[in-house]
Amino acid sequence: MAETGRLSLPATRPLGLPLHPVTALRIAIVVAVVVIWEAVSASGLLYRDVVPSLVAIARALYTTLSDPTFYFHLYTTFYEIGIAMVIGGLSGLAVGILLGGSKFMARAYEAYLYYLGPCPKIIFFPIMIMWFGVGPGSKVAMGAISCFFPVALNVAGGMREIDNVLIRVGRSFRANTWQMVTKIYLPAMRHPVINGVRLGLGVALIGTLLAETKLSNRGIGFLVIQAYSIFNMPQMYALLIILFVIAIGANSLIGRVGGLDQIKHS
Amino acid sequence: MSAAATTLAGSKLAGNKYAPMALGLLSLVVLIALIEGLIRLGVINRFIVPMPSDIIAAFPRVIAEEQVLHRFLLTAGESFAACILVTIFGVGGGVLLYRYHLLRLATETWVAAIAAAPLVLMYPLYLVIFGRSALTIVMMGFSAGLAPIILKTLEGLSGTRRVLINVGKSFNLTPGQQFWKILFPAALPTIFVGLRLGLIFALINIVGVEFLINFGGLGQLINELAERYDLPGTYAAICFVILVSVCVFIIMERLERWLRPVD
Amino acid sequence: MAAVTVPLERVDAGATKAASANAILVVDDIVKRFETPDGVLTAVDHVSLSVAPGEFLGVIGPSGCGKSTLFNVIGGLLDGYDGSVKVAGERLRGPHPSIGMIFQEESTFPWRNVLDNVAFPLEIAGLPKAERYDRARHFVKLVGLDGFERRYPAELSGGMRQRVSMARTLAAQPKILLMDEPFAALDEQTRLLLGDKVLQIQQQLKQTTLLITHNITEAVQLSDRILVMTYRPGKVKRMVEVNLPRPRTSEIVSSEAFGRYVAQIWGDLREEASRGLEDEEGRKLREGEKP
Repeated sequence: MAETGRLSLPATRPLGLPLHPVTALRIAIVVAVVVIWEAVSASGLLYRDVVPSLVAIARALYTTLSDPTFYFHLYTTFYEIGIAMVIGGLSGLAVGILLGGSKFMARAYEAYLYYLGPCPKIIFFPIMIMWFGVGPGSKVAMGAISCFFPVALNVAGGMREIDNVLIRVGRSFRANTWQMVTKIYLPAMRHPVINGVRLGLGVALIGTLLAETKLSNRGIGFLVIQAYSIFNMPQMYALLIILFVIAIGANSLIGRVGGLDQIKHS
Repeated sequence: MSAAATTLAGSKLAGNKYAPMALGLLSLVVLIALIEGLIRLGVINRFIVPMPSDIIAAFPRVIAEEQVLHRFLLTAGESFAACILVTIFGVGGGVLLYRYHLLRLATETWVAAIAAAPLVLMYPLYLVIFGRSALTIVMMGFSAGLAPIILKTLEGLSGTRRVLINVGKSFNLTPGQQFWKILFPAALPTIFVGLRLGLIFALINIVGVEFLINFGGLGQLINELAERYDLPGTYAAICFVILVSVCVFIIMERLERWLRPVD
Repeated sequence: MAAVTVPLERVDAGATKAASANAILVVDDIVKRFETPDGVLTAVDHVSLSVAPGEFLGVIGPSGCGKSTLFNVIGGLLDGYDGSVKVAGERLRGPHPSIGMIFQEESTFPWRNVLDNVAFPLEIAGLPKAERYDRARHFVKLVGLDGFERRYPAELSGGMRQRVSMARTLAAQPKILLMDEPFAALDEQTRLLLGDKVLQIQQQLKQTTLLITHNITEAVQLSDRILVMTYRPGKVKRMVEVNLPRPRTSEIVSSEAFGRYVAQIWGDLREEASRGLEDEEGRKLREGEKP
């Protein structure tokens, strides 16, 4: 029902202004932020390098992106998150289907997932280190348990929201279990599943990166904490910017894939 | 017995309200007993997974020695402060964006992007800006919870059914009345969803950051116990945090149900 | 022409005996009860009927008379009932391959286009791709949607989507078509026109059909015989032979004979329907009073 309503101004530029009002406002906001930032930076209001000049940040960005070891760390983080998503995602899907398909199972076990979900998974990190060592293993584990919950809960909910008549159609044509799952359940749930994966990616990212900041010698998280420890603020900002761009990009990519059939979806 | 009656009898058992809950609890107990057994038999390494009995024994010790109540109040205080801030600015922000269309069109996608970004990774930055204090933690919680609340408030307000707005217009309500008597109440369920979401993010970040910077209440406790290699204590503290998290959300649900009786 | 009706006492015997000789579907003494928080509810109470090959049987009753329960029982989607359902002499054990169901609600798969929707049962049955699509195209054409094969349900109107559901079920070429208020969500004019389509198809395919509906006009327009049900617990109230000429079109609704059939059935239904209404209101009152 309630999607954030898309209000729209006329597509053409009203009043013959050189710029569309929305674009103008956006530019104005960005300019204002840049001006205030540089002002604060130059004034030395805050302690030393807390607000470095944008030039310094840009320079750090350039240095980072042209440094080959950076890509080694990037690859490590990607690799950890990738495996975490596969493990967490698949197990979440399986558990979600199980819970969503049986009211009994849901009433028995879903509460555990629902209440453990909002718990900050980082507190399990010491245990993960004990079980999987100080290397990538514990980071993957962090990402996987973070990712598991939103996927499982979204899939379980999605199963329940499947229009009952679609299931009856399948049964009336005597589809076997595999056919029901692949031709009816999964397609019917594609939106909750994709949203679950989106959320899962978000929290897997957080789980893995925080684990890297806490105890690691590689990965983006490690780089961030390293920059902090030598108080190289421009470097830290640069890394955070790269990270955010990647995170936001991945999120909207998945969203777009999910919304691909919006036109076809009633 | 006829087929119809047999099904009735069979469904009576499966339909028993408490059977599934009992199964859930039973599974948990069985799992714990199993782990205990496997550790005692040496199948699972005692130094990696402490015996559940040790963990349970650690509870009273942790509570007594580690000033758990004091820590709990600290974390709760931080959460409460973040909660108030994020509600005011989140709902307020959402209302602001709803009121000024142009602003909304310009910034809505930015807010959505922020909601998707792993803000918690900025904690070193906040440490530098706000110092190693409760303020950092509150601000981290605040930052994490803000965007989802703004978005959901916006969604709720703009999703009000056209017909309800028309009813208001037909009664010649002033814009202020229209907002407080129609738009806002209609949006309330969605706003609550947003508040719950925002609070979850805030809480996760608060305990998480406490753990990471080794400052604060419960999050710090876990970190300390882990660094001391007090395994049973660490596990006990984790269980404790889970318990608190569960209680908080149950309370939130009760509150919500009380405030919205028929939904 | 006066309507021929069978008095209540002779309904069961008459219905079963007359047609059982060559009946393709025999429903024998079905009793289905449900457990609800308010106690045991008898939805269907000793209902029997039979359908001869090529026949169009309408089942009509007020809301709450157990029609949908009957539909699900015959379709094999519900069990735990007394009595039996036999298709060509074979007892029902779950959804029968010879029975095709068309549901009341929107049932097209939103993620498949029209052609893939219609090809669905053939896909399940494991037919090779070329044959599948050939057959599907034939049935898409039959319901009058040729040209729309690549469209998605979201791009179609409600009436068109129901035609897709119909084509999908027909593509499986079931011996018996079982429909539960397929036009309930549509407006009156669309209903009449789709009724025409159904008549056309049924006449062309000589399809044995069982239609469950609450719409009297629809029942008289389409059926050879009509079974009138009582309000819950659902029993057979009356069997009506509809002796309107075939082939029929929707123009029949303006004939005098048509009007008399409708009037007579309404006479039977009215008291059942008002009992249903009172019951529903009473229930809502009690629900509201609960703490």
